[in-house]
Amino acid sequence: MADELELLRCADPVPADDPRFRDGPLDPRAERRLARLLDQEPAPRRSRLLSLPPGRTPRARLAWGLAATAVVLALALDAVLGGPSAPPAVAAPRPLTVHARTAPVPLADMAALADAAAAGGSPRLRKGSHVQSWSLGMSDDKPPVTLPQERVVVWRADATHTELVVATDPRRPGRPVLSDEGGEPREVADGHVISRTTFPPMWSDAPPEGPPPHTAGALRAYLTEVARPGTGPGTAPLSTAELLDATAELLDHWTLGARESAALVRLLAKAEGLRPVGEVTDRLGRPGHAYAYDARGIRHLLILEPRTGAVLGMEDTFTEDDPEYGVRAGDVMDYRAWMR
Amino acid sequence: MSNDEIFAAAYREHYWAVSRYVARRLQGRADEVEEVVAEVFTVAWRRRADLPGTPLPWLYGVARNCLANAVRGHGRRLRLMDRLGNDEAAHGRHIAAGPDAEGPGAWVHEALDRLAPADQEVLRLAAWEELGAEEIAVALGCGKRAATMRLHRARRRLRAEIDRLGTVPSTPPAGRPTPQPGPARATLCKDHGHG
Repeated sequence: MADELELLRCADPVPADDPRFRDGPLDPRAERRLARLLDQEPAPRRSRLLSLPPGRTPRARLAWGLAATAVVLALALDAVLGGPSAPPAVAAPRPLTVHARTAPVPLADMAALADAAAAGGSPRLRKGSHVQSWSLGMSDDKPPVTLPQERVVVWRADATHTELVVATDPRRPGRPVLSDEGGEPREVADGHVISRTTFPPMWSDAPPEGPPPHTAGALRAYLTEVARPGTGPGTAPLSTAELLDATAELLDHWTLGARESAALVRLLAKAEGLRPVGEVTDRLGRPGHAYAYDARGIRHLLILEPRTGAVLGMEDTFTEDDPEYGVRAGDVMDYRAWMR
Repeated sequence: MSNDEIFAAAYREHYWAVSRYVARRLQGRADEVEEVVAEVFTVAWRRRADLPGTPLPWLYGVARNCLANAVRGHGRRLRLMDRLGNDEAAHGRHIAAGPDAEGPGAWVHEALDRLAPADQEVLRLAAWEELGAEEIAVALGCGKRAATMRLHRARRRLRAEIDRLGTVPSTPPAGRPTPQPGPARATLCKDHGHG
């Protein structure tokens, strides 16, 4: 029985021997385009439109939004105060632990709280996101490592946006952290800029670029399109795993307002298998209510703000060993903490 | 060689591979493909000083962004989605039969379509462009380990969708997919050569 990559390869819609695109000499139109490029004057260096490959971080000064600037300054200050002799922040974080003797709060109750918190309409929806993540970097010949990053996306009125990604672990401020830009993991200073990219104006109403709605029904359709682009309204309901994935995707693009958060909690309250487990303190030190969902060797933990139901974070933890990658049950595969 | 000469050599060597990359994601519509490929090499030309020694994965990364920008365009996206759903030639013409030989290859596409876009892309890069983890990392602009993890997760999800569709009678030997990234082995279909 073939594995899934073999099956997929057999379904290649444009194989290498496709007569339209087979390797060989350029056709006349492609030749003309090349000649046109080679004949033109050297293009002026402008702000980059695309992500750079690893290890090619631009040094150009960019105008940052206030939030991004604050982050950089705070990180730089941390790096200075931490000093060069501080031990590196390379220890793999453990999964969150549920506080003993805390009563799980059903999601239906959280939905009611979130509705009440949204009555005033504040805070409001904002395009862009601020997320701290810890990702398990795996290799088939070396032990896994945890790569902590902070990412800030700021949109401007002219529909351009900038993305700043820095290597940092807020739980160990000032200490060196691991980053794998350029391939192999290596220690870099806390606050090291991994990438900063300015994107040209973009307008789109397609999820997750378009604004999320603030009613549960419309948000369900929105998240379905995030999870299954191009499917029509007749598509099957999202599984809980898909709903959680789509929620993370949404939160990587938008900082939800109170009304959108309330709608999201309403949806989550109906997700099959997502069960309350109690109170936790997230990796940024914030109190939250945790909700767990187990599927296919992974435990997903959703953390909600106790008063408003806003999603604070998600943690994906292996529940089974995977010796090929040196992964053991209890290793955190991915942790994301969203901030306003 | 000057940057211009290096760029020209990369253009000649990889023009058709980049065309296939774009065609796979635009479902083989030749008119759209040529337009997007022209944009890919225009952007690559502006950035020719950054062209790495092994340029193809990097060019795929440029193409990925060009396609994303194209799809983001208001209105254009709807046209593309319409074509994605209606281009019969792209869906079936070159696809080898799957294990059940019913609806050749369509069930694999159906399983793939159920995944998140990021999962779909890492799987396409591994299976169709036949990139290894290091090359996928370049194309996606991430580290090798992150690429390996993304591929690992995406493969699990694809396997789950294939199982859910019920078209494949059993899981692979040892009860789990072989998560080794890199060139896929052809055992069920004609070997069409590298991506």
